[in-house]
Amino acid sequence: MTEPLLETRDLVIRFGGVTAADHVSLKIEAGRNLAIIGPNGAGKTTFLNICSGWIKPSAGSVHFEGEDITRLPPRKIVTRGVARAFQIPQLFTEHTALENLLIAASARDGLRNPLRSMHGIDARDEMMHLLDMVNCADVADRVVVELSEGERKLIDIAVALALKPRLLLMDEPTSGVASSQKDEIMEILIKALSEANVTSVFVEHDMSIVQTYADEVAVWNAGNVQLRGTPSEVLEHPDVIRDVIGEEIA
Amino acid sequence: MNLTTFLLALFDGVSYAALVFIVALGLTLIFGVMRILNVAHGSLYAIGAYATVSLVGWVLALGAAPILAFPLMIVSAILVGVLIGGPVEYLLLRRIYDKPEVLQLLVTFAVFMILEDVQRLVWGTQPYFEAQALRALGNVTVFGVTYTVYQLILLPLVALTLLVGLRFFLRRTVTGKLITATTEDREAAQSIGIDADRVFLLTFVMGAILAGLGGALASPTTSILPGMGADMIVLSFAVVATAGLGQIEGAAIAALMIGMGRSFAIYIWPEVAVLVPYLIMVLVLLVRPEGLFGSPAARKI
Repeated sequence: MTEPLLETRDLVIRFGGVTAADHVSLKIEAGRNLAIIGPNGAGKTTFLNICSGWIKPSAGSVHFEGEDITRLPPRKIVTRGVARAFQIPQLFTEHTALENLLIAASARDGLRNPLRSMHGIDARDEMMHLLDMVNCADVADRVVVELSEGERKLIDIAVALALKPRLLLMDEPTSGVASSQKDEIMEILIKALSEANVTSVFVEHDMSIVQTYADEVAVWNAGNVQLRGTPSEVLEHPDVIRDVIGEEIA
Repeated sequence: MNLTTFLLALFDGVSYAALVFIVALGLTLIFGVMRILNVAHGSLYAIGAYATVSLVGWVLALGAAPILAFPLMIVSAILVGVLIGGPVEYLLLRRIYDKPEVLQLLVTFAVFMILEDVQRLVWGTQPYFEAQALRALGNVTVFGVTYTVYQLILLPLVALTLLVGLRFFLRRTVTGKLITATTEDREAAQSIGIDADRVFLLTFVMGAILAGLGGALASPTTSILPGMGADMIVLSFAVVATAGLGQIEGAAIAALMIGMGRSFAIYIWPEVAVLVPYLIMVLVLLVRPEGLFGSPAARKI
């Protein structure tokens, strides 16, 4: 059996009286898009935050490609190949779209040569290609603050890909955009991920998106994985209809 | 006021503004990026001056040419920035970035007090004077007014170079972009792999070097004595507040306004000369509380 891309072992964390991670042991295989669903407060985002290093668990460990990354700071986890996209795009709004990508591409060793010019970055063509992949090449030189929410979402994805991750953790990739735009963004996202050969884990509340775009679904409840399977298996499961989908409809 | 007095006041103002600007530039850079008002900046200025006087005095006593004073100024500034600025950020400020501003201000004030005493311990309380660098460049006569090349040409030139250089560095280099990105959003910067701790350390050391350089450049023009750091931090704060905190070009204009205001007051109404910088600051802040070029929540740097 091949080694999982990411593996968590017995993750535990409590916030006050709430157990946000209750002995979570999960293996994520390379090359698939895993959707995480579940009621609010089930610990979905906490799981992403632990895997990306923003929250340190009180017990348990996270392994990426066999290496224990539990105690590494977020920026080092990024360097290892795990990128994180947040619910609200974390872009530098006073910079242009292309600059955002260039900053990401040079974040790792940009401080080594203090006088290197921005124009000297070899990655420029590659970054333009990434913007093209997310259909945003035409706004490359626009300042992010002028762009629409949909465009920001797409550029945020391009920024994440500029980090050359092997795993991308996303918190509701389509939240905050009009429902008519959601499919367009997901199409672009899934295509870009497969082109860049990146595995993804995304938290999602929209079941039609889960159904269409996920290869696999994990259902979170009370700080642990309640169920895991293909979208059709999981979404038709009575517990899920009652606990998760029921809540979405209400 | 005849032409001679006018020109004298003008030249005094320009050279004084250039010095204050160099120090204020460091203060506003640190504030713009790290959101910390570093009171100890005044001590770094004073120690830059003391270090230069000691270093230049020592090297020239060995028989070196007076022109060597210039590289020694740069050396002193870098030593001050790295050996004092570095540890202050690394050991102290790093722990208090998420603490209330009042606490940050108190901590940098404490560092200022400690460094003031360190100066007295090391250099005593008698004034120092070392003007070899000033004399080395000679004088220039403009419309009948003779002034030192050092103050009339070199200081404004250095100030202008630093202004343009820092602008270029922040806008056009990779490191500059990483600094402005971290300034904008520290968490987002870390989430794409920027070492925000190193960015802050680098910024603080750069700011501290500017303070030290201000002191080094001021040293041939004035007596070096206890209290000079306190004077300078208040004055450069006035410049930075008048301009708008974190405003780099604005600081240049504000430094000119304050430098000119002070030097013309010396010739016209000497009794209020020391008050003029603060009067300008108060007047500006009454009309525009965010400073001349600051906007309540726009660009930080």
